[in-house]
Parts: sequence; C-alpha cells; structure tokens
Amino acid sequence: MLIREVMHPDPITVKPSTRLKEAYKIMQDNNIRHLPVMDHKKLVGIVTDRDLRLATSKLTLHPYDVKTEVGILMSHPVQFTHPSDPVEIATRTMRELKIGCLPVIEDAKLVGIVTGMDLLDALLLLTGIYQPSGRLDVRLNDRVGELARLTALLAEHKINVHSILSYREKNRKIRIVLRVGTIEMKLLAEAICNAGFEVIWPVHIACIK
Amino acid sequence: MHKVIYHPGYSKYNPGEDHPFSPLRNEMVVDLLKELGLFKGMVQPEAVSPKDLYPVHTHKYIDAVERLSTGGINLEQEKYGLGSLDNPVFSGMGEAARLQVGGTLLGAKILIQNKADKVLQLGGGFHHAHSALASGFCIYNDIAIAIKELINAGWHIAYLDLDVHHCDGVQEIFYANDKVMTISLHESGEYLFPGTGWINELGQGMGRSLKLNVPLEPFTEGDSYIEVLNTIVAPALSWFKPDVLVIQAGADAHFSDPLADLMLTTYDFEKIYRRVLDLVDEKTKGRALFTLGGGYSLTAVFRIWTILYLLLFKKELPVNLPHRWRIKWQNNIEKEIPETLHDLLPAFKPVPGKNEIEKRNRETARRLLDAAAPDWI
Repeated sequence: MLIREVMHPDPITVKPSTRLKEAYKIMQDNNIRHLPVMDHKKLVGIVTDRDLRLATSKLTLHPYDVKTEVGILMSHPVQFTHPSDPVEIATRTMRELKIGCLPVIEDAKLVGIVTGMDLLDALLLLTGIYQPSGRLDVRLNDRVGELARLTALLAEHKINVHSILSYREKNRKIRIVLRVGTIEMKLLAEAICNAGFEVIWPVHIACIK
Repeated sequence: MHKVIYHPGYSKYNPGEDHPFSPLRNEMVVDLLKELGLFKGMVQPEAVSPKDLYPVHTHKYIDAVERLSTGGINLEQEKYGLGSLDNPVFSGMGEAARLQVGGTLLGAKILIQNKADKVLQLGGGFHHAHSALASGFCIYNDIAIAIKELINAGWHIAYLDLDVHHCDGVQEIFYANDKVMTISLHESGEYLFPGTGWINELGQGMGRSLKLNVPLEPFTEGDSYIEVLNTIVAPALSWFKPDVLVIQAGADAHFSDPLADLMLTTYDFEKIYRRVLDLVDEKTKGRALFTLGGGYSLTAVFRIWTILYLLLFKKELPVNLPHRWRIKWQNNIEKEIPETLHDLLPAFKPVPGKNEIEKRNRETARRLLDAAAPDWI
C-alpha cells in the first residue's frame, strides 16, 4: 500500500504572512488540523492546530498575539514523504518523530498530505471485513513454503482467502490470521491441524493423526 | 390461532452428501411430530416466481442462480458467491430456494390476513443471503422477502435472530429502514463467520439505532445468553412497539454444534422460547412468525425445534423420545440419539473462565444499550 492510495491530494495551505487567527479559522472551517505553509510554491513549514492553541494560550508564559504571522510560529524544516513511499515507512517516520502528519512532495511540488487518521483508515482497510468470512488463526514455522502449503490446502477445499495478517513471535514462529470465505472453518480446522499446522483458532481442535 | 407451514419439497434444498446443511434437519422434526400424532393441518406453500424476488435481489443475481440451477453457465458465478465450498451449485437450487421463500412469505400473508397470529415455518431462515451474493449456505433471503410484504401491509416489524451467526444479509437489506428493527444475538465476529454484527453497527439514516447487535464471547452459556436477551430485547420492543415479531430460530448455539462455539443446552432453548413467546404476547400484539435457520448437530437440532413446536402449541413436552422412532433414525444418521427430548445434564465439563465470559457479555449488552437507547425517544 502506497502513500498515493491513502493521501489527501491538493491540501489547503497558508502563506508565511497568514495571521494565526486566519489560519485557525481555515482549520475550523475545513475541519482539519494541519496546514502546510507555502512560500511561492515552495513548502517552507507546517503549522498545526495544537501549535496555534499552545502559542496563544493564556497558560503559556508569553502568549503570541493572534495577529502574529504563521511564518514566525511554523515548524521547519518539514519532514515529508513521497507518493510512492510505502505506507509503513511514513508510519514509522511519524511514530519516531511523534508527529501527526506528513506533506507529500513529488518533483519539488506539494501534491498531498497524509495524517494519522489516514493511517488508521489504512489499518481498517487491512484488518476490516468487507466480505462475509470466517477466521483462521495459525502459528507457522518461519521457513520457506509454509504459508504456501497452508493456502494450497485452502484452495483444495475451494476456499477463497479474503485477507491475511501476520506478525512475528518468539522461537522463529509466525502468527497468521486469515479471513476466509467459508462458514465451515471449524470443520476444516481439523484437516488443517492434521496437515501439521498449529491451529490457534478455532480452538479445541484435536488432530486425528 | 396457530399455523404451521411445511412442504416435503423443502428437502430439495440439498447442497450435497457431505454438506452440513442437510435436509434431514427438517425431515427429522416433521417425522417426530408425525410419530407424536401432531402432524395435522400443515399449510403447504408454493414456490414464488423469480420476479417475486425483485424487492430484495438484483435481476442479474436471480438470473445467475436460475441459470446455474438448470444446468446453464454463468461466467460471473464466483462474484455471486456460487460454486464455493459453502454454496455449491446444485441442480434445482433456484426452485428449491424459491419454495423456501414461498413458505416464509406465506407465513407473512397469513398474519396480514389475520388467519393466525402465530406461524411456524418449518424451513427458511436464510439470513446470510445478500441482494447479489449467496453466502453461508443461503441463496434467496426468505426473511427479507417476508418482511417486505409485512412492510407493505403498513406494519412495523421487529426481527429477532437467535442463530449463532450474525444476520448480515437481513441487516444490510434493512440497514436504513425505519420500519424494521433487527436484533441479533450471535457469537462475536472476531471468532465466527460472517465477521460482522458489532455493537457499533446501529443502522443508518432513518434506521439509526434500530439495528441491534449483541456479539457474544465464545463458550457463552445459557444463563448469560438469557441475561443479555432480557437486557436488550424487552426495552427495545417496548420502545419500538412493533406489530409483529419475526424470529429466526437457528439452533446452532447448541453446545454440540460442529460449526460454532456457544454452549446452550436444550433447557436453555426452552427458556429462551418461553421468554420470546411471553414478549410476543406483551409487546408485539401476540403476532409472531418463526422460521428455522442454522443448526448442524443432527442429534440436537430436531429436539430443539420440536421443543419450539410444542411450546408454541402449548403441548406438554414428553420426557422420552419414542423408542421405535429413535432406533429408526439412529440407523439412518449413524449417530447415537439421546433417549430423552432434553439433553442429559451436566451436558459438558465446566467452561474455564465462565465468570469472565459472563462479565464481558454483560458489558457488551450495557454498551449497546448506552449507544442505542438515547435515540429511542
């Protein structure tokens, strides 16, 4: 999954000379939290609703005036990403820097923006249920051909696989969670168990070996 | 007045020898009722025509089913969920499915014409069928067709789904409809097919807070099931004031079911049916349409549905199954059938983590009520 699939194209932007209160109104009117700051088609900074609220809050020692220019307050240099970057790289960058969005730059031009919410949407898309399906949870040995052996078994039973999620466990094991197009998963779990797979769900399956 | 709907042709809905959806499931009920001298005055439905399905299914989907049913070819069968493990193509499936629809639709008409106030359709309950998708053994959604007929009579309909699987087809078809409340108790989609039926699936637009889902933990037992049923169903019906309750009485929440993980006994089913019948008298003008549904343990489902029949008709529940009948069917299905109508207790070893399961179910029901009830004004 690439950034271009989840980003918002043509984001709303402000100039360094935009006043804080104007920037805040733009955010409120458009229901957004991040504004890239552009100086003659060049990305020079970024400002968030949190920046604005913190800067102008009475709780801060020296609050900025609401007429201050965004250019004074904005964060820069800006971390950014490319439309062809994988979603997980952008996620890692955002997580490491603890930031909420990344502008998307292609050929030195701002083409989009991706936020934490877009990444949550991506997660929903990856884990969501868009076809009626049953769940199969297995622990595989971390070696060549194990997943192929499992999916071949499913194909043999005419079962379509709608989604696969996996994560690494200890001792060279991989957990695989599949959403599969059948109501009969519990009946089939036995066959999967008999083929030498460790079935986590459905539980209480005894191999008839 | 009570009526029972049945047609021997229901047995033609047969996806094959090794398929869990065996026609023996209904045949055993009917044969036992005959043996008990209760098989009288059943009403025989006719198959509806393909165009009677238009209110619910797309023309292209109906064409695909009917063509494949008569040996034809449809290049899009995969898209329609046909020819899969769950929904294999079988000869005559179109007409067999339309006969099942005919039965449930006839039940709705009997209620509308006031010829009876309680109807038991000894078939139907195909709640996974979508407008253009066969799924989970279901082809045509008989329940949705019958509910559309009830809507056209100007009624408000409450639908209660007791099948262990979420009623995704029925819910989707009426998701934005303000004349239909759907309530489904099922094993959580985290663990069981079809994966939907979460508490935040509350309906859309005018149908908001009229679609209620109670996803239950695996290994939920009867007491916890009945507790959440009481928490949700009574207040929901009190507010919605439906003219009729349609019940999908799937029997696959039984502990012996090979496809799912809930732990109800026949005693629990008896309690549930008694409670539902009380609710029908109190809250839905005494009108109810029961269909069958899932349930794949051949030694259990006929007992559960016979209990439903006997309770509905206010007959005594016999302790033992007729000996001759039991031996006959034991030979037929090659499985040991219990001597008694009810399960022998204790039916299973104590479930580990029972308290935790009950607590989670209680919280689920509470959260659902918190989310939906503010809209019931």
